[in-house]
Amino acid sequence: MLRAFLGGATAGLVLLGLALALWWSPPDAYQGQYVRIMYVHVPSALAAYVAAAVTCASGALYLWRRQLRYDHVAQAGAELTVLFSGLTLLSGMLWGRPVWGVWWAWDARLVTTAVLFLLYVGCVLVRGLSDDPERGRSLASVVGVVGFLDVPLVHYSVVWFRTLHQPPSIGPSGVTIAPALLVPLLVNSLAYLALVGYLLVERARLARLEAAQ
Amino acid sequence: MRALRRVWTLAAKDLRVEGRSLEALVPSGSFGLLVVLVLGLTQGTEPDRAPAVLWVALALAAVLLVERTTEREGEEGTLEALLLYPGSREDLFWGRWLALVVLLLALGLVMGAAQVVLFGVRLGLGWPQLVATGLLAACGLAAVGVLLSALMVNVRGGHLLMPLLLLPTGLPVLLAGIRLTEAALTSGAPGPWIGVLVVFDALFLLVGPPLFAAVVEG
Repeated sequence: MLRAFLGGATAGLVLLGLALALWWSPPDAYQGQYVRIMYVHVPSALAAYVAAAVTCASGALYLWRRQLRYDHVAQAGAELTVLFSGLTLLSGMLWGRPVWGVWWAWDARLVTTAVLFLLYVGCVLVRGLSDDPERGRSLASVVGVVGFLDVPLVHYSVVWFRTLHQPPSIGPSGVTIAPALLVPLLVNSLAYLALVGYLLVERARLARLEAAQ
Repeated sequence: MRALRRVWTLAAKDLRVEGRSLEALVPSGSFGLLVVLVLGLTQGTEPDRAPAVLWVALALAAVLLVERTTEREGEEGTLEALLLYPGSREDLFWGRWLALVVLLLALGLVMGAAQVVLFGVRLGLGWPQLVATGLLAACGLAAVGVLLSALMVNVRGGHLLMPLLLLPTGLPVLLAGIRLTEAALTSGAPGPWIGVLVVFDALFLLVGPPLFAAVVEG
């Protein structure tokens, strides 16, 4: 019942976000219609980082308590991190090409997301490589924890090394984005957070059923 | 005190095995030199390119070095045998870490010397900063390397996963190494990079031992 409600609410939010992004939001003064890609790009990045945080926390809990339920969440989190960071990279490239003139801008956030994507691809791969499933679970948990702890360091070192990306539009210094663009962005962010939450619950449930077989 | 002796014994064991066979240092050093040659040939040999070429070659050679020392543990069942001895699992981490730091420093020394010769680099007064950079980088990379090597022992295709995990994780070390080497060679300011290396080392030396213990137990 709760799952059905969560699924329905998520679907509603995603559809609302999509409608706001495609029809309600005006084109940007500089970027024109391309600004609509932002409504997928920024929420996907947010979802990827939330999924990675969940993977790290549940992986650490699994290593500490050795209870399978934590591993099921970590497994779901790692797969969703790959999915959403992959979507972030793809939408970032599609956005960068018309706006910056290049598919890949070598800026800090793009490189950090690519590193996150590759580390979590490794995390998903390592689980299946060990003949002993318990060992595979430990390995995946460690990679999930290490990957997430390393990401802030990677980010700042790439920022200091070189950067081209526009500064964040929403930060401690205030909001520098027009309300007509901000509302769809916030609704889409909420929708993607609900989506990652719903997919986490469903994938963890599937992992539990697979393990019970 | 007993723990320190265990760590030292384990490190000495690893170094003695390597000293007798040189089967990790020679292939990884040769590969690193090959990368330096190929990059020098294709990208140019101006002295200002040397830091980036050196650190990229070092990172790739370090992957090979960690892989080879890991394979040895797996092939000979050393890890299983060591686990049977009494004492903390974390001592195993520190023993391997110490040995790997020494091996990485040896690798860095050989490749650094090659760089001086091949790229016409003048060391000047920046050498203490270079030594500090090398030490900090080796400590951090060794911590990640030992942790990942514990993951890859007895795993199918583990040697393929090692670069996929070690290179992105060690990216801050690579970038900091390049910038600090540039600063040392041009007498420039080190900026935030020493801090990056210190934080990286502190992070992985802190989480490395307990995670290593959890992996070898499970």
